[in-house]
Amino acid sequence: MTADPVPPERGAPSGHGAESYRAIGRPVTRSGGAERVTGAQSYLTDLVFPGAAEVAFATIPVGCAEIVAVDTSPATALPGVIAVVTAADLPPSASRFGISHQDRPVLASGTVNFHGEPVAAVVAETSDLARAAADAIEIEYRELPGVYNLADALTSDARLVQDPSIRPRDPLNDTNVLETADYAWGELEPEQARTHLIVENTYTFPMVTHFPIEPGGVVAAPTDDGGVAVYSPVQHPYLLQRIVADLTELPLSKVRVVAPDPGGGFGGKQTPRYEPLLAFLAIQTERTCRLVLSLEETFQLMRRSGCRIAARTGFTQDGQLTFHELSADFSIGAYADVAPRVMTKGSYVGAGPYRIPVVRVAARAVLTNTTPSCAFRGFGAPQVSWATESQLDAGGRQLGIDSLEMRRRNLVGVGEAFICGDHEATADGRWHESLERAAELIDWSEPVTPGRGRGIAVGIKPGATSGLSQSLVRLLYDGSAIVYAGTSDMGQGARTLWQQILAEELGVELGRITIISGDTDVVPFDLQTSASRSTVFMGNAVLEACRDIRLRVRRLYAEATGIDEADLTDSPGVMIGPDGAMPLVEAAQAALGGLRGEFVGQGTCRLRGVQGHPLGGDAAFYEFNCTAVEVDIDPDTGELLLTKHVTVGDVGTELNPLQVVSQDEGAAIMGLGHTLMEQVLLDDHGRIQNLGALDYRIPTFNDVAIEMVSDSIENNDGPGPYGCKGISEGALLCTSGAVGAAVADAIGVQLRDLPITAERIWTAMRAADARSAE
Amino acid sequence: MSERDVSRELAPVKVTLDVNGTAHRLEVPAHRTLLDAIRDDIGLTGTKKCCADGECGACTVFLDGRIVNSCLVLCAEAEGCSVGTIESLSVGGLTDLQEEFLAAGAVQCGVCIPGQVMAAEALLQTNPTAKPAEIREAMSGNLCRCAGYERIVAAIQAAAKRRGSSR
Amino acid sequence: MTQYRRPDNVEDVVRTLSDAEGNGRLLVGGTDLLVAVRRRPLDPLVLVDLKAVADLPPAIEVTEAAVRFGPTATMSDLAADSRLAAMFPALVAASRVVGSLAIRNRASLIGNICNASPAGDTAPALLIYGARVTIVGRAGERTIPLSQFFVGPGLTTCGPDEFVLRVDLPRPADGYRSAFERLTRRRGVDLATVSVAAGVSAEGSITLGLGAVGPTPLLTETAAAVDLEDVDAVEQAVKQLIGIATPISDLRSGREYRQAMIAVLARRAVSAAARSVGTKGPST
Repeated sequence: MTADPVPPERGAPSGHGAESYRAIGRPVTRSGGAERVTGAQSYLTDLVFPGAAEVAFATIPVGCAEIVAVDTSPATALPGVIAVVTAADLPPSASRFGISHQDRPVLASGTVNFHGEPVAAVVAETSDLARAAADAIEIEYRELPGVYNLADALTSDARLVQDPSIRPRDPLNDTNVLETADYAWGELEPEQARTHLIVENTYTFPMVTHFPIEPGGVVAAPTDDGGVAVYSPVQHPYLLQRIVADLTELPLSKVRVVAPDPGGGFGGKQTPRYEPLLAFLAIQTERTCRLVLSLEETFQLMRRSGCRIAARTGFTQDGQLTFHELSADFSIGAYADVAPRVMTKGSYVGAGPYRIPVVRVAARAVLTNTTPSCAFRGFGAPQVSWATESQLDAGGRQLGIDSLEMRRRNLVGVGEAFICGDHEATADGRWHESLERAAELIDWSEPVTPGRGRGIAVGIKPGATSGLSQSLVRLLYDGSAIVYAGTSDMGQGARTLWQQILAEELGVELGRITIISGDTDVVPFDLQTSASRSTVFMGNAVLEACRDIRLRVRRLYAEATGIDEADLTDSPGVMIGPDGAMPLVEAAQAALGGLRGEFVGQGTCRLRGVQGHPLGGDAAFYEFNCTAVEVDIDPDTGELLLTKHVTVGDVGTELNPLQVVSQDEGAAIMGLGHTLMEQVLLDDHGRIQNLGALDYRIPTFNDVAIEMVSDSIENNDGPGPYGCKGISEGALLCTSGAVGAAVADAIGVQLRDLPITAERIWTAMRAADARSAE
Repeated sequence: MSERDVSRELAPVKVTLDVNGTAHRLEVPAHRTLLDAIRDDIGLTGTKKCCADGECGACTVFLDGRIVNSCLVLCAEAEGCSVGTIESLSVGGLTDLQEEFLAAGAVQCGVCIPGQVMAAEALLQTNPTAKPAEIREAMSGNLCRCAGYERIVAAIQAAAKRRGSSR
Repeated sequence: MTQYRRPDNVEDVVRTLSDAEGNGRLLVGGTDLLVAVRRRPLDPLVLVDLKAVADLPPAIEVTEAAVRFGPTATMSDLAADSRLAAMFPALVAASRVVGSLAIRNRASLIGNICNASPAGDTAPALLIYGARVTIVGRAGERTIPLSQFFVGPGLTTCGPDEFVLRVDLPRPADGYRSAFERLTRRRGVDLATVSVAAGVSAEGSITLGLGAVGPTPLLTETAAAVDLEDVDAVEQAVKQLIGIATPISDLRSGREYRQAMIAVLARRAVSAAARSVGTKGPST
């Protein structure tokens, strides 16, 4: 990164460094919090668009079909219908689009490739009329033998999800494999000689959906200058702007993206899906067009890729890993979205943060006739971690070595490589400290109550491997300030941190700082809000903008007062001159003088990629977490009671302990979702059977551990402001591994399929009883 | 379907209801939920819509003094009823409960929060000394995908303590 | 499109249902009905709201010999009623796990049984207590045992222009004890994977109400008294009783697990009932 990584101005703080800061490290309450507790916060569907027309989609009840004919006339004939649009009605520029692969049509064209893919869109005066008209459209279709799971997609005569013409130059275009990733290092032969035990198992991870409490939607409106404005609660407004501009052939300056704060993103609101269609509808009808999504429709819009991982692992007699072979197939859905990247990045750290002489990872992104999968907190890492962590425990159980000791013996130390080969990656934190802290918090050394089990696991995820965040800060005459920062505040509390950085660096009171984001017409470029990057990338950009202002204040103050600039120094929030120290905001006001005006600071944080690197660059930081749990299993029903859940993250520096604990606990509980209960279930026609909240279960208040502990290790060793690292995903990376180990500890049997339901535990116990009875 | 006269079938129902102390006279289609009426017809958008199946609690309001999922009440059913929404709580500034939500770090994306606050308010009114297990049970109809559950329980306990000591 | 009616007397309810020609749906709590309506907003349903009907039986009426529930009795009403908790603990326990608190504030007991879900929470308990259902229609009232009310998933003997006016539970005999057990996929708010209500009499006969293990909630009872202290005898009796269950595989569970869980839950419910304090019968 070209922004300074953490210039510590008062000497590197040690441990909890909050004492030396005025605003950093303090439990500052959430910016926008008062609006959120009173209901005043406006999310997309709370905004008023006078005269807006409403949009509804026509779909068919199967996951794979050829569209034979679409009769829109019954819909067109209905009162209040403004337009009925199918793929044939879109302009030629409305080509397929995407991030790495241009494969997603604006509206289903020729075939429906997953359950819920829109075939036609209705624009009508009210949502009731739009719904009625969409249901009146007659779609004649021929159901095709879709591939709804990995096994079906990978058979030699499997139906191709994508016609080869969609990716003509791809040598794999006659298969359902969209992309592969292979990582390998070490010589197997010498390691086999010292291998005492080989463990070989296959694990599965279910398709799960984000289930944001804000299903959201899209509004598009023609603008006076012949352009289009798109309102969407997205994590990446600038990516959306680019794609809409490309498809509509408008310049970026005429595509305005307004991104109201997303009501929960978790990776599900990153990429454009229906926004291009809404832009076309607005342009075509010359009306503001509004699409409000139902929760069910979000199930057909976003999900995590399911995964099957075959693992073969070697151990020495004392539990050291000798080799680890993984073959991971990700069921990514009908279109690429960012799933190839999820596969590539998740499997990159597939072998975990361990010292392993020989590693072979072979991963594939496999197309299936299901909801296109996308980013989801953890970004591919939780899937593969489930297998690797379970393998460590499987080996440990056979060797008589417990889960903690297995990790003590294999986890890399700071600076030690865990990914070898041409582009090696080394531990950027003292990860053993997290392991030991979690062990202590779960009372690992104390005996476990009978019927209970304990598990401990670690997880790792690479942060962003390239990035660009730009920020502007305006310090106004009265000592208040405005920050322009394009990070989407979707719950992580980004705005609060920018306020804290300004309060720290410029001495501006927290309550006098306004943060502007989510409008491409006003706010400078930010690549994206993802990969827990923002605190590091945008944080550094805001920090640099503040330091730019401090420099400008010093110069102008010198010029205005005639004091030699060399006699002036500044430190955060303070200007020090020959007569002593004064608050920076006062110095700024004095410098601006009678003409008033303001200071404008600019900051940029840019991380360029690395040519030839398998991820396109080194990760800016790694998120590392250790999770330890204790479970109680009902021997008759298999029901699992989580008695204790400990999560410890290697955070660098806690800029705001309140927000760190919120994010950490939130990630940990979300991890319980895919570990214990969540899964998208399909029928033989590729239809989602548990479409909606009634039968897709996410954790409630009652599903959290009886005792939950979230803690952090702070060594101020991150590349972000004040030594911080990204922290928002860590606590769900290895939840499954920890729970799986605890269940195995309790019942003596390892489960390899998620979610670990009571039924699966009961089935495993019964099978074990049957075996022991033989 | 196309044969049917949609406009006739959309013949509205006349409803008079009290929302936050103000009487509203509405004409709505029969299937209009109380939630949609509050948000779209009355314009109070603090009450949120997520699952629309009564599973998530984002749309929690008081109906004649009891909390309900407003997505599972027809606007027509609320004829003559008194409805209290999140907007009614903080007319004189943040309530103690809302302050504790902020202080505990319970607010992340915030979409579930109005419903959480309403459910928590109902709990504090009926069981002011609720223990953590009772809080979890009483609140388990309010989902939070950011999973601020631990923080919300802490906020409710803190608010209960404040109310207890001021009693 | 949906229509809404708010009749103010029973006769008018029956007439409205009759006029709706099979499209009438009774609305009290709406917690199941409106979930269905949202998915089919274009169906020409006539929603008949009972909440303004003046001549309905009161929500809960406790007499010497029986307890009577009217259509407006909600789960929260049941959950909060200490008189019921003493007499019908399995019913009150079931009423407390229906949905969330906000759902229970709306959901009605009679609506719960009229929905006729095989997994309905209150039906097993009502069955073991010998609930009788009074249905009113053009031909007047008729009363049948609840066990004859259910026909199949979502189906009852209640005709399209009839509705359930009340449910009566006779007071249990002296020494009668009961309990309720339920298994769900998660700990917070969920639909039942399997549920069991068990009643044991002073003489040792056992009655079971089974939920989610057949096309309707099921009722079964022992032919002879069982020594409730004898674990093996109870085990044998339970095994025989649950023979009537015909569980299937669905989203919530596989058939085999359900089958096994009926036995576990039934044993637990019988044992919990046997351990509990008995009721005092009517007018002793």
